[in-house]
Parts: sequence; structure tokens; C-alpha cells
Amino acid sequence: MAITEFSWDKPSSHNSLLGINGEKLKLSDDVLIRNIRWFITFRWILIAILVFFEILMLSASDMLAQLGISEQQKWPIAIIFILFTANIAYLFALDYCKPSKYNSPSINLWAQIIVDLICLSVVVHYFGSTSTPISFFYVLHIALACIFFSVRESLYVTILVCIMDTIVIAIDNFLLTQVPLSVLVNSDFLSENARRDGALIWMLFLDTLFLVVWYVISRLSLIVRNHESHLLQAYKQIKQTQVEKDQYALLITHQLKSPLDAIRSKINLIKDGYLGEMTPEMSGALEQMDFRAKNMSSLILDLLRLERLKTNCLDTAKSESIPIKTILKKCIDKLTPSINEKKIALTISVDNFSCQCIPDQLEILFENIISNAIIYSHEGMSIEIFSEIISNHQANIVIVDHGIGIESKDLPNIFNEYFYSPRAALHNKATSGIGLSIVKIAAENNKLKIKVASEPGVGTSFTIAFNNIKLIKE
Amino acid sequence: MAPRIAHVDDDPDIREAVSRILTKNGYEVDSYLSMQDFIESLQDESKEQPDLAILDVMVESMDAGLTTYAQIHKRYPKLQAIFLTSLGDMIRPYFEDGSHEWVCIIEKPVEPASLLATINDRLRKTGEAA
Repeated sequence: MAITEFSWDKPSSHNSLLGINGEKLKLSDDVLIRNIRWFITFRWILIAILVFFEILMLSASDMLAQLGISEQQKWPIAIIFILFTANIAYLFALDYCKPSKYNSPSINLWAQIIVDLICLSVVVHYFGSTSTPISFFYVLHIALACIFFSVRESLYVTILVCIMDTIVIAIDNFLLTQVPLSVLVNSDFLSENARRDGALIWMLFLDTLFLVVWYVISRLSLIVRNHESHLLQAYKQIKQTQVEKDQYALLITHQLKSPLDAIRSKINLIKDGYLGEMTPEMSGALEQMDFRAKNMSSLILDLLRLERLKTNCLDTAKSESIPIKTILKKCIDKLTPSINEKKIALTISVDNFSCQCIPDQLEILFENIISNAIIYSHEGMSIEIFSEIISNHQANIVIVDHGIGIESKDLPNIFNEYFYSPRAALHNKATSGIGLSIVKIAAENNKLKIKVASEPGVGTSFTIAFNNIKLIKE
Repeated sequence: MAPRIAHVDDDPDIREAVSRILTKNGYEVDSYLSMQDFIESLQDESKEQPDLAILDVMVESMDAGLTTYAQIHKRYPKLQAIFLTSLGDMIRPYFEDGSHEWVCIIEKPVEPASLLATINDRLRKTGEAA
């Protein structure tokens, strides 16, 4: 028995690109909140590292004392305490306080930057503002501000960084005479004047560096945001075009189908005797006319369906949780006339579960597969529809017919648009070759997998695999 | 008294078919070419009000049938409506949410037996509600 399998992995349509707030080129609150959470996590890691070093310092204080370092300062503990309290406050503001004018993600981020800068300044002061490269950590805050804030706001952050760095260097070198931690290790003591000159150059160098970093990153960030805003515009245009295209397709379908409907309405009048008696020959001819006209109008409707599924632009195409039995029942109700006409014995044994799908599309999918099973079955045959529950989250619906089957060479092509095998066409003159393309797109839109197994003369089975289901107890 | 049915469709063949079927089955039928004609006739107090309206959806514009019905439904809440359209259920997404209860859509072509059954069903519901 030949088997063919199709699965689709489409990226989710929600994209962070859409988080841009109009022309202002500022990131949306959603994007900010996501990153605020990331910063908070990052800060927890930092706190953990600080705690680890503090414990290390305490346990190894004897050894450090031998090296000439006396760890008596309480600042690391104070920093840990401030960062810890602040982190909890940010989380509280984010999760438990109502968003307001004074509690926006932007203000939250500003508070984080200011507290972090103050803490960093304290660390820089105790570590040594001019003798260690710790001051370079300020660059991190400038970079983040450039990414998440507007150009002007990031400039404010940069100026704030420059001021803090200047103050720390000034305090260390011009106001206090306290010797920084690192100098304790350094045996080369510099003369007081040389140290002050060095500090001044260091200060100027750092402030210039901060401003250059701000300029470069904010430029880059502006370019990226401009591109994102163009993308957003393009996306909107595409969406609009899709809506217009859909309306156009609807109009054309209507214009193509209307004359056929008028013809068929008149045929119905004659058939039902509203225009007088007629001979059996006339009646037979009318049946044939009606059959051809009906095929043509279903082809027109199928084309519209295919087009609609492809663009998938209607706002109503939202996925919701739906019980599988409801969908199956709707399809079978619709197909009952053709099931009866072919005297097909339909067996259904499905355990009910709900799945996250677009209801209309799932209905179209099942309707097409079941309708194919009916069409390609011989009269009086049976069709089975059953479910296979794989786990609490996964289930299959299997539709088995015992009809003409599909040849193995045709199997890989059955989902292609307008494909139909000569055998199928011989059995069903009305085939358009669109039915399974519709199924394919409906499956793609709903992230379903379909497996088809078939043997000519024996029958075909379609297995539709659902993920993320919820079992419904009855 | 025979139930009175208003039918709006710009296709003369469909108008003739519906009118023939309904008249033969004992209904009074008023056919209108455009939605405007139908609304004007509703406003004309000398004319008898219909019990049910059969509306095409795409007359003059894409959604003339739907907008007309929205207007009429506010002013004449008792008047029942059936939409007779070439597009069948495909127009359903264009209705507002929660309208599935009251919207009745028949796909063209006109089939005498199912048209009569739907009309009778709708009229019975009006009778029950009254």
C-alpha cells in the first residue's frame, strides 16, 4: 500500500515587527514589557553572582588579608539589597499594579536604568574609577537605552551616564583621598599630581567614548526602526490589497455563477411541472443539462474557496476551540443526500475532543475528504470515520473508504492544484482537481498534518493529525 | 388571507421563477428590481406590508441586501427575511457575530420545494412569536 504524507510548519503570524508604535519610532509596550522581564531575569543572575562572590570573600577573608586586602566594606551587601528590592518592585509594578500615567513600561525601564546607574556608580567608586576598566560597564546601559528608547531619551541616559562617571572620578581623585581597592594590590604608587592628571584624561576619554557610542548605536537603531516601520507599512498595504482581492474574487464569482443560477432556476421550474407537462425524454435531457450546470457552478465556488483560503485575509478567520464531533456532524448532514443516493453505509466512532482551528476551514477540509470518499466509492460500499487518541494532546481522525483507490505514482501529486488522474476522471466526470488543494491549504492554515494511504481497487485512508487537543468527557 | 411576500432581485429570470412558484402556491408576491424600490414601498402606508422578504445580497453593490436588511430590521422588527444568493453560505462571514440565529440563507438556483419549505418555516416562526 502506497503512503504519502504532508505536514506544514508555518511561522506564527504574530511578529515583533508589528510592535512599532506608528511614526514615533518607539517600541510598543508589549516589546518593552518582554524586555523588562528579560532585564529583571538578567538582574537576578547578577544578584546571584554578587551573593556568590560575597560569600567567597567572607570565607576567604584570611587569605585576602594576607594579600593586603581587608574586606570590611559593607557596600556589596548594600548593592545586593538595593538590586533585590528594586527587582521585586519592578515585578510588582508590572504584574500587580494597574497601568497608568505613572506606571507605564517606559517609566519602569527608566527607573531600572537610574537605579542600575546609581548602583554601578557605587561599584565603580569602590573598585576604582580610573584604575580598573569597570567604567566600561556604563556602555551597556547606553546601548540598551538606544535600543529601547527614542533618540532623545537615549541621549538623556547618555548625559546621565557622563555626569555620574564624572562625579565618581571627581570624588575619587579630587575630593576624597581614599585609596581604591585595586590600588591596594598595585605596588606601584603614583604621585598625587600624576594621578589627578591621569584621572582628568581618563574622565574626558570616557565621556567622549560614551557620546560616540550613543551616536553610533542610536544611528543604527534609527535605521533599523525606519526599516521596521517601512515593513509595517508594506504589511498594511498587503493586507488591504488582500481584502480588495477577496472582494474582487467574490464579485467575479457572483457574476460567473448568476447566469448559471438563472438557467438552473428555470430548469427547476420545468422539472417541477410549473410550465406544463413534459415527456420523459425532455425530462432526461433537462437532468443532464442541470448536472453539467451544477458541476460548473460548484467549480466556480471551489475556485473562490481556494482563493479565499490562500489569502486567508478575512478577519473572521480566527481560530477557536471547537469540538470535533460538531464539525463532523455538520459535514455529514450536508453530505447525507449523496450518501443516501449511493447507498453508502457510513460508520462513525469518534471520541470527542476539542481542537484549536478555524471552524469554517476545518469544515471545508472534512467536507472535501468525506465527499471524495463518497464519490470514489462504488455503490453500496462502506465508509468508516474513526478517531485514534494518541495522547492527551494528540489525536487522529481517520476516514477510510473502499473505493477505486489511488495509484502510487499519482499519490504524491494529489494535493497539487488542478491535478487529477485519468482513473479518477473516468470515475467522476465532474472532477475539477481543486478539492484536495483546498484541503491542503485548509490544513496548512490550521497546522494539521495529513497522511494518505491508498491501494488501487482496495481503497484510500486519510489520516488527519491534530496537535494540542483537549479530550471532552461525555 | 394569503401571506404577502416581497422579493428583491435584479435578475429578471430569478424574479419570474420565484414569482411563478409562490403565486402558484397561493402567496401574494411583490417583486422589486432594487432595494430602493422595496424600501419606498415599505414607507408607502397605502400599501399592504409584506409578511416576509426574500432579498438578493449583491444587488447594485456588494452588500446591498445586508445593509437594506439592517435598516429594515430596525424599523420593522417583525418582518422576516430570507437571503437568496448565488454565493450561499460564503456570505455568512459578512454578517455580524451572533447573527447565525436569525439569518437564513438559501443558495441559488431556486428550488421550488426547498424555497416553499423555508418560507413556511419562517412564517410559522413569526406566527409563534406573535
